[in-house]
Amino acid sequence: MASTDKPTDPEYNKEAPPPPPPSATVNCFAFDITLRVLLFASALTAVVVVVTSNQTKFIPPLGFREAKFKHSPALVYFVVALSVAGLYSIITTLASLSVIWKPHLSTKFLLHFAFWDVLILGLVASATGAAGGVAYIGLKGNDHVMWNKICNKYDKFCQHLAGSLAVSLFASIVLVLLVWLSVYSLHRRIPK
Amino acid sequence: MDGVRSDVKVVESPRRVRISDAFLRLFALAFTLVAAVVVGVSKETEIVPITITPSLPTLHLQFTAKWQYMSAFVYFLVSNAIACSYAAASLVYSLAVSSSFNQDAVVLVLSILDLVIMALLFSANGAAAAIGVIGRDGNSHVQWRKVCDMFGGFCHHFTAALVLSLIGSSAFLLLVAFAVLGLHKKPK
Repeated sequence: MASTDKPTDPEYNKEAPPPPPPSATVNCFAFDITLRVLLFASALTAVVVVVTSNQTKFIPPLGFREAKFKHSPALVYFVVALSVAGLYSIITTLASLSVIWKPHLSTKFLLHFAFWDVLILGLVASATGAAGGVAYIGLKGNDHVMWNKICNKYDKFCQHLAGSLAVSLFASIVLVLLVWLSVYSLHRRIPK
Repeated sequence: MDGVRSDVKVVESPRRVRISDAFLRLFALAFTLVAAVVVGVSKETEIVPITITPSLPTLHLQFTAKWQYMSAFVYFLVSNAIACSYAAASLVYSLAVSSSFNQDAVVLVLSILDLVIMALLFSANGAAAAIGVIGRDGNSHVQWRKVCDMFGGFCHHFTAALVLSLIGSSAFLLLVAFAVLGLHKKPK
């Protein structure tokens, strides 16, 4: 019906998509799902470790003082960003699983995955940078502006932060790999 | 219908994609360069009156704010410099090989590198912004006092650099997005 009024109808008739080799597609998506589950695990770990980092200590002139992540806007941003990444990874894992049942959706999903993965990578990378910048000041202090270090007082708090930062760095590497995988799979679909 | 539309685009796209790609790289180059320079030249010396106790006379001490003093700002400057030199190199590379070589492989390699540089820039922006927020507001819980009331000029310079670097990193993000779209739009 559409072919009668379109000038490009020879191409349109040729357009019946050749089915991609199913085994390769499924392999790529199996790797994709593995990476997404890893992303979910690392985002969840990072959030839980930061949220449970509260530490109350007796600091001589001030009395009991508490260190928690809510006191720093950068750490709040970190928790929010990693939670978003965790939720995103759940949704995309389900979407990726659905591709295994319905392979004809795969190209469309690859495109959307690549876009959103890049955005989430930006989010996670900036959150890691923000938390890392603040944690570094907490570890070393800064004499020039008289910001004193706090990690000599709140040891458990800082250990939790360090662990969580390492895990979120891992999460951003996983995201980079995910985008590479999407770009590579899209690239492989181009006939030589 | 969808197949027809994507085919029509493919006919005219390679040249247009290449031009928009080059423009985005130029954009990213300019913005990260200016951000790095603005941070590099920002230096402010202020004489700050300090009162220790009301009985003693007020001390006038000289303080200098420089980017070298804060590790997050050093990271910011270095990342912007790396992104800027990468943008220049990739611009030259993509223009030089544009016609002679296998275009798809070039797009693949460049988009992978773009992605890494984008992540680097985003983390530098995050670190610098987090330190900037502490500098503006201070943090009363750990007695880090604000410094932007003393060094207003330095903070304004720095905010400008942060915005410029954000625009530069968005240009890298768009580069990756356009590369993915270009790969997707190729005829199957």
